[in-house]
Amino acid sequence: MQMTDFPPALILFAGALLIPAARGKLRWALAFALPVIALADAWQIIVDGTDVYVPFLGMTLNPVHVHSATPAFATVFAIMVLGGLLYALNQKRHYELPAASVYAGGALGVLFAGDLVSMFIFWELMTLGSTVIIWAGRRADSQGAGMRYFGMHAAGGVLLLMGIIIVISQRVHSGDADPLAFRHFDSMVTLWSTLSWDSIGMWLILIGMLVNAGAPPFSSWIPDAYPQGSPSGTVFLSAFTTKTAVFTLMTAFAGVEVVIYFGLYMAVYGVVYGILENDIRRLLSYSLVNQVGFMLVGIGIGTHLAIDGAAGHAFAHIIYKALLFMATGSVLWATGRTKMNQLGGLYRTMPVTMWCLIIGGLSISGFPLTSGFTSKSMVLEAITNESARMADLGQSHTYLIVTWIIFEAATAGVFIDAFIKLTWFVFFQKDSGLRPPEVPWNMKAAMIGFAGICIFLGIFPGPLYAILPYKAEAAEFANVVYSVDHVMLMLGMLLFAGLSFFVLLPLMKRSESITLDIDWIWRRFIPKFWHDVVTPLLEGLDRAQKAVLEFLPSSFTDDGSMPASVRRRLPGSWAVSVPVLLITLMLLAYLVVYFWLLPATS
Amino acid sequence: MKYEMSPEEKRLAALAWAAGLLLLGIVILVDLGVHHHPHFERDGLTFDTLPEFYPLFGFGAAFVFIIVAKTLAIALKRKDTFYADD
Repeated sequence: MQMTDFPPALILFAGALLIPAARGKLRWALAFALPVIALADAWQIIVDGTDVYVPFLGMTLNPVHVHSATPAFATVFAIMVLGGLLYALNQKRHYELPAASVYAGGALGVLFAGDLVSMFIFWELMTLGSTVIIWAGRRADSQGAGMRYFGMHAAGGVLLLMGIIIVISQRVHSGDADPLAFRHFDSMVTLWSTLSWDSIGMWLILIGMLVNAGAPPFSSWIPDAYPQGSPSGTVFLSAFTTKTAVFTLMTAFAGVEVVIYFGLYMAVYGVVYGILENDIRRLLSYSLVNQVGFMLVGIGIGTHLAIDGAAGHAFAHIIYKALLFMATGSVLWATGRTKMNQLGGLYRTMPVTMWCLIIGGLSISGFPLTSGFTSKSMVLEAITNESARMADLGQSHTYLIVTWIIFEAATAGVFIDAFIKLTWFVFFQKDSGLRPPEVPWNMKAAMIGFAGICIFLGIFPGPLYAILPYKAEAAEFANVVYSVDHVMLMLGMLLFAGLSFFVLLPLMKRSESITLDIDWIWRRFIPKFWHDVVTPLLEGLDRAQKAVLEFLPSSFTDDGSMPASVRRRLPGSWAVSVPVLLITLMLLAYLVVYFWLLPATS
Repeated sequence: MKYEMSPEEKRLAALAWAAGLLLLGIVILVDLGVHHHPHFERDGLTFDTLPEFYPLFGFGAAFVFIIVAKTLAIALKRKDTFYADD
């Protein structure tokens, strides 16, 4: 195997083994060298278009393959690891860095996975790494949130795996030459609105990926888990899981209309919940959902410009979202607080953090001269282009007009949310009396570097456009992105959205509250229902059963005198019967899948 | 505990508010002179070329989002120790 064939993911996995063994300066030299080597290796593979095949359990896996969106995502993932490490230099918990290395390695692995099985393996490694990062946060609820996060992603992973198995077996049945291949599911573009057994495997894969993207009804795992990381841990968390999901959705489900609707829900959900949120890092988690929603809209539209827009926006988003989490992490680091009602007036002593937060906030809102402006606009342009094309063909396209309006409205919404509200309540508003010192040099350097990238890509989007999946469309778009019409459109919309915030400022008064979400069902309702209804019922049955047994002649119930075969047949406690029931149901489901679904596809 | 702003800070804050309002005024004036391209011309929709459409749209969208969120909060708002109390 030559250097050029080496999966970049393995370089970061090696880091997870080496970093804990190294000490002092060597540790940091290693931490910085590995992502640089991984990036160089990734680009070597991209330039050569290398494909590597590896035999594994009787299959031929393809762990190194270049998809159209791989260059953009691999580049930003490597930049992210570097910036995240620089920011994390003061991190005391020794297992956070190795975990981050596994996490980023898994994410990089997915980008280069040419088959569904390697994709799944890297996907699950990512889940493991990120769960450990959440646990390393050691905040009040890090343990619980980590478990819920793991449960959610394990469940999503099971759906993904079931889908992969069904799709592969269907392909084998139909004589596909490359049944394992991770490629676009063309048939989903037309099949999505007609649910059929033929497409069940693809649906399961779609759902598994959407869970990781933070799509409804499971959007709440993001605000639940990410704020529980350490200041540096959350920076890593914000980058990889959702964006890897965006990458896989882009690769497999571009142009599948239903993805647009998931995206629109997320765009609106992120704004509404963000407006109500008091915790600065939970607020950013909500706006993360909002931004991934914009990317899903681009993926659902599926034209070349839309895909470029979604990939470009993912690139820009990783940088400015990491910047925002760095800035709020700095506030946490300096003050130990994350609740807006306990903050305020920090502009006096933390000017660098403030300006970095402002640049990140402007970028996330797509303000002119920032990276969000040059990336998100591509998706908007793609919506109007597609609408015009369908109008020419006489096809129904009202949904695209509605999509455009909601998209623009949510852009205005995220401006008041992640920019004005955050900056206002943390750095201005009232004087909280806090005079924290500015953060150490490395945290400042990481923030300033990322803020620089946000501005650079806002003014010179060329280098980013050049590594997008369909360069030609993006290059053409570069000519119109800074038209007076477009700049004034954005300025007028955003600045007056800001006015709205201050007009309604009395309504925005902070209190120590959260907003219930759909996760209430499994965090509160089901446990309570189990505790208050199911358990007493089962205990009642147990008592009734004991009463019946006592009523019987003693020779029947005396365990010692009964033949073993009879004793075994007596009903046991529900602790045994419930799992038995569950296992029976699972076997039944397996039979249904095996006898009913698979023959239908042969 | 309440902290008072110093006179210097009060002056700066007033200046910042004035600058913000001035910026809004400039945007309104400049926007009058800009022709906005209609996005859905083929459908006969030209609502987005009306004068000051985008400032109004931005203001309205943010306004509606805040009102919708606050309405939702009536039913869904809880103390942030809600789940920790278990």
